[in-house]
Amino acid sequence: MSKTLKGITLKGSAELVAEFFSFGINSILYQRGIYPAETFTRVTQYDMSLQLTTDAKLKNYLTNVISQLKEWLFDCTVQKLVVVITCLETNEVLERWQFDIECDKTAKEGSAPREKSIKAIQEEIRSVIRQITATVTFLPLLETACAFDLLIYTDKDLEVPEQWEESGPQLIDQSEEVRLRSFTTTIHKVNSMVAYKRTNST
Amino acid sequence: MDDMEDTTIFSTLKSFKSLISGPDHSLLETEPAYGRSDLQKLYTKRVELEEAAERVRSHTSLLQLTQEKQQMELSHKRARIELEKEAHSSSRDLQREIDRNRELLLKIRRLEEKEEKANQALNEQMENNKALKRNLEELHKKANEKDRKLTEADQMISELKDETRRLNQKIQIQESKFSTQNLEIQALQEQLDVQRKKYKDVSQRYQNLQSSHSISTESELKMKELERRLALQEQDSVIVRNMKSEMVRLPELEREIKRLREENAFLRETKENNSLLKEETEGLRKKLERVERVMEEKLKAELEKEKLEQELQAWENIGQAAGLNIRKPEDLSREVIQIQQRELNLKQQNYTLNSSIRSVEKARAELLPEIAQMRAKAQEEQKKRENQDSLVRRMQKRVLLLTKERDGMRAILESYDSELATSEYSPQLMFRVKEAEDMLQKVQAHNTEMETQLSKAQEEAGTFKLKVQMVTAELEALNEQQVSNAEKNTLATAEEVSSLRQKIEELEAERQRLEEQNNILEMRLERHNLQGDYDPVKTKVIHLQMNPTSIAKQQHADEVEQLRLECQLLRDRIRKIEAGGGVTTDDTTLIIPPSQEILDLRKQMESAELKNQRLKEVFQKKIQEFRTACYVLTGYQIDITVENQYRLTSVYAEHMEDSLLFKSTGPVGSGSMQLLETDFSRTLTGLVDLHLFHQKSIPVFLSAVTIELFSRQTVT
Repeated sequence: MSKTLKGITLKGSAELVAEFFSFGINSILYQRGIYPAETFTRVTQYDMSLQLTTDAKLKNYLTNVISQLKEWLFDCTVQKLVVVITCLETNEVLERWQFDIECDKTAKEGSAPREKSIKAIQEEIRSVIRQITATVTFLPLLETACAFDLLIYTDKDLEVPEQWEESGPQLIDQSEEVRLRSFTTTIHKVNSMVAYKRTNST
Repeated sequence: MDDMEDTTIFSTLKSFKSLISGPDHSLLETEPAYGRSDLQKLYTKRVELEEAAERVRSHTSLLQLTQEKQQMELSHKRARIELEKEAHSSSRDLQREIDRNRELLLKIRRLEEKEEKANQALNEQMENNKALKRNLEELHKKANEKDRKLTEADQMISELKDETRRLNQKIQIQESKFSTQNLEIQALQEQLDVQRKKYKDVSQRYQNLQSSHSISTESELKMKELERRLALQEQDSVIVRNMKSEMVRLPELEREIKRLREENAFLRETKENNSLLKEETEGLRKKLERVERVMEEKLKAELEKEKLEQELQAWENIGQAAGLNIRKPEDLSREVIQIQQRELNLKQQNYTLNSSIRSVEKARAELLPEIAQMRAKAQEEQKKRENQDSLVRRMQKRVLLLTKERDGMRAILESYDSELATSEYSPQLMFRVKEAEDMLQKVQAHNTEMETQLSKAQEEAGTFKLKVQMVTAELEALNEQQVSNAEKNTLATAEEVSSLRQKIEELEAERQRLEEQNNILEMRLERHNLQGDYDPVKTKVIHLQMNPTSIAKQQHADEVEQLRLECQLLRDRIRKIEAGGGVTTDDTTLIIPPSQEILDLRKQMESAELKNQRLKEVFQKKIQEFRTACYVLTGYQIDITVENQYRLTSVYAEHMEDSLLFKSTGPVGSGSMQLLETDFSRTLTGLVDLHLFHQKSIPVFLSAVTIELFSRQTVT
């Protein structure tokens, strides 16, 4: 695998980013309580303990999306990944976790690997996930039953595969936004931010 | 002070001695003179001496007094100093005491504050204690209440247990009743069997009847079919007759068909001819239209031709009037082109001239300071030159002087040389000569340098002068040019400058505005980007169709639907229950049983009650029958009015109230009865005596009473 060699190739970078998303989305689901805490199990990744879901349907869904996302990262056609959290009773969007992906298009398949150590990238990813955990302190409580959805912003001319369909951006009206840390593999740069619905007391 | 005292003492002693010596001298001197007056003089001298002694004494006493006074003063001063010291020390002590006082006061205050705080703390603690006590009391009360409730609950439990025991007893009683009634049920069932057999016979007969019915219906159906077939056959016969009549008409129809076919063929041919003719007419019409259009165009062309000829004439006239060599329009165009080219050339020249003017003006402007600089330099050079000239003159003078000196020195040297052939002075002279020659050489070198410098300065001055002259010449030329174009260009340049300045200011303002707008838009873009906005031209948003949100929404909707349906069903059942008043048999699944035992007991109770009801009805019927049978057969209606008392009313009673009362004595079922007094029994005393007292037989008495009453009735 490209990870064991010195330097990052396009394929290796796509894998790193997809791995980050898989663990990041699981962390978000655990922290916000979208699924009950008993359905999560502890694993070690990036030198910290993270929560991973054991629900079979959810796992299946996540692997589908992440594998497709890996392909698109390799093609550099994906621009954003958004985790949308909706309230089931009122059908309102309560939170939006948005990850902007900037791809360096000059790094094609055959070009030389870039100089950046895996350790440094993992450090950066660790700080991003720690920050996601820390945001729970100021995000408003999700009191009603909620469900989540994964939206992917891609280039307009991308061929939409089967089982995927176009949808709206599902924006929050009256939102507060907070920018979080970013990390880069020198080929892909991921910026994170969270937007939540402003509550009436603030 | 002591020195002073000593000196005063010495001075006094000296004065005393002097005084003493004085008078001695005076005594010695004046002795021989006077004999008589010696005593007086001695007396006077003694007096004087005594006075002097007194003076001395007083002086000494004064001195002593002064000494004492000084000592006193000293002692006073010492005392004062000591007093002051004491005062200082006492004041210091006072201050120390005051400070201590203050400190103590502060300490007292602090202690007082601490006391107050302690008091407050104490009060708070007391209040807390009270509050805690109150809480304790409340808790006690609550505990008591809970105990009470517990005891009440225990009581309730015991009561419920009693109730269950009673219910069990009731059940047992009713079970015994069931067993007695089951026997009756068996009897009834035997009756039921008999009835069933009858029912079977009846059903068999009914089946026979039904079979005969079916046979009859089949026969009726067959009849209907046969009738239908008859009807069809009649219709067929009618049709056959019609067909025959039509057959007759056939040959005529064939002839008509032939004729029509021939006509058809003919019409088709004519149709083709018609279509051809129509096409020809259309073609001719179109030709007509075209020809008419062509005619119109021809007229228009002729009109245009006339107009053009007129214009040509006019152009030719213009050409002749203008005086140019024009015969064809090409010449005119050529002329026009030439004029235009000339115009363009002139404009270009104009522009070049303007640009050259501007450049020249810029050069002029640049050159003006240069000129000033040049002038200054020229002046400096002039000054330098003058200095150089003066230096040169000085140098020349020096040179002259030096040459003269040299000549003098040479003359001297020659004279020396001539005088001295080989002397001791020759080396010195040689040395001096050498020195002089060195000096000369130096001076010459200096001279040459100065001359070169001078020449250079002169050359530079000359070049500067030339430059200045050239520049002045150019300036004059420029000025002349400027003067010629001054009127046009000054205004233009000023205008241009002002307009350019305005443009620059406007552009600057616009630039700033645009920068601000740019910043605002960038911030808005950033904000929108954070919120998740996207450019629909370049990006699109996709997600999986089977995503958790849609699945959850569907489940939610399904749950809601299910709940709604359940609600509807429940509402309907409630309505049925309220209308029916009893539990419907097919809806017991939703009603939650409170506890199994109570349900069973209730069911048993209900079934027992039903059985009771039925048994009661049966009893009633049977009893009625029995009573009526008794009444008819024995002639007496027996009623139980009160416990153990039986009232008998005869069939042949004259009045309704005539009745005999019997009371059963002894254990139940033994049958011993006693007659009680009634109005009617008083009328039957004879029978009573006879049959009851003597014969001790109640049936005989009763039958005697019936016979008596019957006889009475039949008689009357």
